Amino acid sequence: MKKLFIIALIALTPLMAQVKGKIEVPYIAFPIKMGKGFDAVQANCLMCHSFGYIINQGRQSRKFWRGKIEKMIVHFKAPISDKDAKIIEDYLTEHYGNGK
Amino acid sequence: MKRRDFFKTAALTAGAAALGTSDLSAGETKQPIDNRKISDVAFPEKRPLITYSDRPPLLETPREVFTSALTPNDQFFVRWHMPDIPQYIDEKSFTINVNGMVKNVLKITLDQLKNDYEQVEVTAVLQCGGNSRSAFNPTAGGIQWGNGAMGCAHWKGVRLRDILDRAGLKKGAEWLAVSGSEKAAYYETPNFVRELHLDELDDHVIIAYQMNGEDLPYLNGFPVRLVIPGVYSDSWIKMLSNITVTDKYKHLFFMDHAYRVPDNDCECETPEKPFPKTKPIYRMNVKSLIGYPVNGGKLTHKSHTVVRGVAWDGGAGIREVQISLDGGKTWDKAELDDGSQGRYAYRTFRYSFKPMKLGKMSIMAKAINKLGEEQPFAKDVKWNHGGYKFNGIDEVKVEVV
Repeated sequence: MKKLFIIALIALTPLMAQVKGKIEVPYIAFPIKMGKGFDAVQANCLMCHSFGYIINQGRQSRKFWRGKIEKMIVHFKAPISDKDAKIIEDYLTEHYGNGK
Repeated sequence: MKRRDFFKTAALTAGAAALGTSDLSAGETKQPIDNRKISDVAFPEKRPLITYSDRPPLLETPREVFTSALTPNDQFFVRWHMPDIPQYIDEKSFTINVNGMVKNVLKITLDQLKNDYEQVEVTAVLQCGGNSRSAFNPTAGGIQWGNGAMGCAHWKGVRLRDILDRAGLKKGAEWLAVSGSEKAAYYETPNFVRELHLDELDDHVIIAYQMNGEDLPYLNGFPVRLVIPGVYSDSWIKMLSNITVTDKYKHLFFMDHAYRVPDNDCECETPEKPFPKTKPIYRMNVKSLIGYPVNGGKLTHKSHTVVRGVAWDGGAGIREVQISLDGGKTWDKAELDDGSQGRYAYRTFRYSFKPMKLGKMSIMAKAINKLGEEQPFAKDVKWNHGGYKFNGIDEVKVEVV
């Protein structure tokens, strides 16, 4: 019982305020839309950022989403293939587009 | 149930979502989105806040916190750029490295920082350049922040000037490249490095290790961060670990492409006609926010009501805050605090009145700084592609019952 208690304490340590042990940032499951192309989004985008980063950009044009994917490839060096880039662009435009 | 699973379940509806855009006519700036839910999940050393992303962490402070001059550490907003933040910092071995065009390369430990240099304090507002971005229409690029990508804290640390003096700048030194300990997922991704011109540094720029009398919260940059009073927070590097002195500006992604506005008088453009030349967002413009009451709140008919909030600017200081209860037709002066926190801090305001009419009403706040600059109506704030520097007159709508 005592042993269990100690284990429980260790497990809780990272969550206690003002403790400079190892911190753990919680995982949040953002409500991203499922649909055609989602696998490519999951495989490429999630390496660097959460789905929250996508859905909290607000509704945007195809041009905007294409620009963002290009930025990830050109400036942030994300290894996204041309084929996946197009699939992701279509997915984002369909589910997070503004009709333009 | 594993912890990760628990978070999945708990957080499924916790994420803020900016979808559901305005029905206003295209191009008219509106009030920023203000009805986002506070997450069910708390991040380390934080109370639950409005949560846009966990990786990198992006947390917003809710409006009701902005009635006080200092923003509590556990409610202070959080914004990182890279997904990999060190999960542990060893206070004994952590150093701030100063190198490049210096006579003495320095590796300053936290002990040295706290003991070998003059200790100074400053109260200053830390505001993201994209704070209130969701006001822009059409939707500007970037996280659709509400009003709470900001806070004001009392910082303690050491003047950057004093550290550079100790290092001794070589002739021709002009720029500082400053970076922290966050890392990208891919080795090739450019690090988040900011460049500061030596002329931009005054004695108020400090490397801070304390925030409101405590160690910096981990997510606000423990153990040290740069504090640049009056200036938007993009260069307030967190977990500051390296300063390289150079003679030339290096064309880095985060300098040349991020945190910039059109380099024209109105700092504006249209989506169809982007302005080709840009400049850094730099000094904060004059702005205010009502912390009480909040949108959708209820006031009791004929009761003694006190509107409270904060006002700030880029360091000129706040001269006046005015309140309008008739949609901006007439304005009345609010009371200001004594300003003892200094010109970089929030100036709190209060305005007493009795709501005499039942039903819906609007409360607006407008700040004017000591240069005579005042906030425009939200609809008159001009668009820019990054959605930076929104400073429209704040408005909350309440119901008198």
